[in-house]
Amino acid sequence: MNIFKKIYNYRELLKTNVKKEIRGRYKNSILGIMWSFLNPLLQLAVYSIIFGALLAGGDKTYHIYICVALIPWTYFTTAITQSAFTVIGNADIIKKVYFPREILPISVVTSGAVNFVISTIIILAFVIFSGIGLSWYLVFYPFILLIQFILLLGISFIVSSVTVYFRDLEHIIGVILMAAFYATPIVYKLEQLPANLQIIMQLNPMTHLINAYRDIFYYHQMPNMQILCILLALSILLTVIGYFIFKKLQKGFAEEL
Amino acid sequence: MKESNDIAIKVDHVYKSFNIYYDRANTLKERMLFWARNKRREKREILKDINLEIKKGETVALIGVNGSGKSTLLKLMTQIIFPNQGTIETKGKLTSLLELGAGFHPDFSGRENIYFNSSIFGLTKKEIDKRLDQIIEFSELQDFIDNPVSTYSSGMYMRLAFSVAINVDAEILLIDEILSVGDQHFQEKCFAKMRELKAQGKTMVFVTHSMESVRNLCDRAVWLYDGQVRMDGNTDEVVNEYLRVTT
Repeated sequence: MNIFKKIYNYRELLKTNVKKEIRGRYKNSILGIMWSFLNPLLQLAVYSIIFGALLAGGDKTYHIYICVALIPWTYFTTAITQSAFTVIGNADIIKKVYFPREILPISVVTSGAVNFVISTIIILAFVIFSGIGLSWYLVFYPFILLIQFILLLGISFIVSSVTVYFRDLEHIIGVILMAAFYATPIVYKLEQLPANLQIIMQLNPMTHLINAYRDIFYYHQMPNMQILCILLALSILLTVIGYFIFKKLQKGFAEEL
Repeated sequence: MKESNDIAIKVDHVYKSFNIYYDRANTLKERMLFWARNKRREKREILKDINLEIKKGETVALIGVNGSGKSTLLKLMTQIIFPNQGTIETKGKLTSLLELGAGFHPDFSGRENIYFNSSIFGLTKKEIDKRLDQIIEFSELQDFIDNPVSTYSSGMYMRLAFSVAINVDAEILLIDEILSVGDQHFQEKCFAKMRELKAQGKTMVFVTHSMESVRNLCDRAVWLYDGQVRMDGNTDEVVNEYLRVTT
């Protein structure tokens, strides 16, 4: 396919973009890249204290239960939030230079993935030092990450291109993500919900991804491969649809911005 | 030139119009409250039925008064914007110099910006490594290349940007009104470089108001007037006619 060749030809641009995004995020801050660790850790501390008192029920590893979910969740939200800005933020080069515009959402999702892999060190440190330990189920980590990557790519294609024409989306996304945080079993257990709510939660793709991460890091059990494969297929479908939307809308970028 | 029959750029029945809004509603709230407002817009036709064939190795100037559609046509060729009707086909690697230094990052050094800027033009790291010395030498910024670009004077900035763009090794170059780069000395160097590229058989399209440089470099001129081709042919003929009518 033509698109893969195009992206391959512009791989250097993709690389510098990803580097710029990772380095640029904490540029001019004293602690620099340390914020990549501090941010989720502090967030984790807040959630552990508040929700720990409310929901933990004496579970000594509750903070790890949250941690395993919070780190992939952070990847999910930052990638989507940044997608809304990426085309608008690069307005001046879009108006002046030709390059495959697809590079922009792809580099947002890729730089997020790099950050996520680095942050996984936090999860590993927690499970090792708390005595939960590691299991061989970790071999599924790349597979789960791949599904999340493709899912995000699809969302990113749509969000980044639609926001150009419909700026409100940026704010709508903020609200949706805030709601989605509570609609995903991050701070509580799915079983704590009433049965009818549990069924609705099954429609949330992040529920299954979070469950899978928990299976390999926390519960040390086989993730539900059947669900993951369905999720993979749906994510690929979403990315294909998203790509066509992006392709159609990108023609007007230079005029709309 | 044995390949002179090859078409590098083919513009086929191209129409382009822009919507001009008087007062644009951007957000949902505004759109719902003032839905009538968006109707107050005007469709302005910039290009009407443009047909143009530019052969490989040709050096063509687009001339015309402001607002005649020259830059729009160039942007269409670059694929930054797309026609409402008709098609544009280009053959071969294409570089546009619509605005120099687009994508420069002021906090990074000249050297780093060479990498950023070249990658926007689609070069790989290896290719940039190979050209790095050549680019720095052409820009004559050896002593400043590791300083942040924000410390450069505007002339230095332009020199660096031009040096990157000219060394990309494209087969088709689209250049918009930028031949006034730097001082006399650097301008002459640019012209020499353009002539060299011309001799190598590159296709070039210029948009410029400097009739002197048109005469100097181009073998064909296309005069756009009010979104249509008014005259197309030999540089001297077109330029003389253009000057006769406009002055």
